[in-house]
Amino acid sequence: MPLWANPRLGLLILLVALIALFTALRPAFMDVTLTLVPLQSDVSVYAVVGLAQLAVLSLGHMNMAVGRMAAMSAFAMGLAYDRLGVSLVTGLLIGLLVGTLLGALAGLVISRTGVNSFVVTLAMDFALVGLITILYTRFTDGVAFGGLPAGMDALRNDTFADYCTGDVCGPEISLVVPLALVAVLAVGVLFRFSRLGREILMTGANGRAAELSGIPVRSRVVQAHALSGLLAGFAGFLLAANNGAFSASIGDAFLLPSFLGPVLGGTLLAGGAVSVLGTVLGAGLTQVIYKGLNLLQFQLDQLNLYIGLVLLAALSLDRVRHVVADRKGARV
Amino acid sequence: MHQGPLIRLGGLAAALVLAATATAGCARKSDDTATAGTTRTPAEVKIALVSGGAHPYFQPWKTEAAKVRTDLGVGDVTFNETAAWDQTKQNDVLKSLAAQGYNAFGVFGVSPENVNATFDDLKRQGFPVASLGSCPAGDVDKADFCLSTDVGLAAYKAAQAAIQAMGGRGNLVHLTGNKVDSNTQRRIAGVQKAVDETGGKVKLLQTVTDVDKDLQTAQKAVADLLAAKGDRIQGIVNTAYNPAVAAAEGVKQSKLPIKVVAIDDDKAILADIKDGSVAATVLQNPVGQASVGSYALTKLAGGCAMTTPGVVVDSGSFVVTADDIGAYDTDRQAKTDELRKAFDTRYLTCK
Repeated sequence: MPLWANPRLGLLILLVALIALFTALRPAFMDVTLTLVPLQSDVSVYAVVGLAQLAVLSLGHMNMAVGRMAAMSAFAMGLAYDRLGVSLVTGLLIGLLVGTLLGALAGLVISRTGVNSFVVTLAMDFALVGLITILYTRFTDGVAFGGLPAGMDALRNDTFADYCTGDVCGPEISLVVPLALVAVLAVGVLFRFSRLGREILMTGANGRAAELSGIPVRSRVVQAHALSGLLAGFAGFLLAANNGAFSASIGDAFLLPSFLGPVLGGTLLAGGAVSVLGTVLGAGLTQVIYKGLNLLQFQLDQLNLYIGLVLLAALSLDRVRHVVADRKGARV
Repeated sequence: MHQGPLIRLGGLAAALVLAATATAGCARKSDDTATAGTTRTPAEVKIALVSGGAHPYFQPWKTEAAKVRTDLGVGDVTFNETAAWDQTKQNDVLKSLAAQGYNAFGVFGVSPENVNATFDDLKRQGFPVASLGSCPAGDVDKADFCLSTDVGLAAYKAAQAAIQAMGGRGNLVHLTGNKVDSNTQRRIAGVQKAVDETGGKVKLLQTVTDVDKDLQTAQKAVADLLAAKGDRIQGIVNTAYNPAVAAAEGVKQSKLPIKVVAIDDDKAILADIKDGSVAATVLQNPVGQASVGSYALTKLAGGCAMTTPGVVVDSGSFVVTADDIGAYDTDRQAKTDELRKAFDTRYLTCK
């Protein structure tokens, strides 16, 4: 494959071009504390949200409950921190477990009943909306948990530049970035190098063929959905860290971005092929556009219009590149 | 073909290890780079009034922004409603405005439970911050001050007005907004208090929450409510905008003898008061929030300090019936003037 036909490269070039454009229009785009560091935190959250969707897109499935799974995980974490006083890591693990179980449950229903994933997860989303309200009203004053574990503030506020050995300080990189990087790396390795990942992709490409080749299709479906739940829970944690509270509204805005990142990055909605790096770039692109338009101080209607237009342009450019690559006989 | 991804993953892994080693064994720098103490002349002050999202309630903020700019002689006043009721987006909007040079913030926090963290962020940069129109949940307010309707008190007044219109007895229904919002919880408590004071003469038949999303949701809820229990209801008290409009309309159409108490001074609601289909409405003071809030922010930027940081100030709520429909704006202006004086004399300490 020639270098120029690589979809990730196209995204990267677009990303760099947009950053250059926004910087030229508004030098404040390069403001480290007010623009770049918050941007890193946002990209971290939405990259993981994208991966949560990617985990089931690999099967050709959808997870419409991605936001609510994040909210349930965040509830579990908040409860653990507030009531049990557990450490940052323990609470995180509890939340991730809840997310994984919810995902696995969705996967189980889908694989046993054969009902479409869209329907199952949409129903689950509805059920969880109600449950989350009930739980928050029951266990808090109705809205959010007050108690935060030690280290949460640092995750929210600090960059590596705040940590020094002698005179040498780290770069201006938010502390949540490496956490998201772990998720990216793990999902990347899973789908690229592990047998499990490849079997999930084969299930997505052609379930019947996969079954005939001896792949336990049903358990691969459950596992992919469990991974989606796990990543949704992790995204919930990162957002709670960024926002400074475990509240009922976590995950409310996850659904659309969860599709945007993977689709922009070249993941097929039909299943069978994923792009982890593309998802990260897609999430980055979306957030850069949002941040840039914010800095240009568009009003609400214009903001939505331009976000839509820029995304449409990005997708079309990608399509053009595909077609040209096909004509030239390159395999994309 | 497989070397590409391997190198890429290797690169990521290396970056991760580097980052991890960089943190391990490092000491945290003693303190952050807060620039507190900077004083600005009015001409240097650039105020941003940021709402939680688009809502008719904030329209006066928009018009007031232009007026405040000339009245106070500040550098700039902008109004931004692009937060779309999402705290994450609002945080983004605020940081973008700060990057653009805005240095004083009046914020209607999207989620009262998270917003203290947002205020903390802005304060760390040394900006004066006002929580306008809504206070953070809990007892702590990290903003310099909160200037907002005392929603509990406003709901209490509204319920009292409804009870009075009902003749002091019967069944009351309360329609309100998002249940998982601390302000809604305060409203529910306010209505309950007024009902409790009747000593059992008035019963709170039902509290319907989550009907303020849009007018359609509210209309459906009202239709369902009237169909199921219409003949048993004597009064409906609304503490959110959309259900208020829907309830007035629904009761008018069904011709049931139900007394409706609404909120805010939307044209439709004022017309309903005039024709008697709404018994009373409870007004808030968004104009005062924007103008007095901006005034106090300018003072804070100029070197004044809050006597009690994080103080909560009630911007006022007014019960309006058909009798005083002509005079309410005078009351509201008087309250606004009084608030400004109170900031000068009590809440602000200037050198």
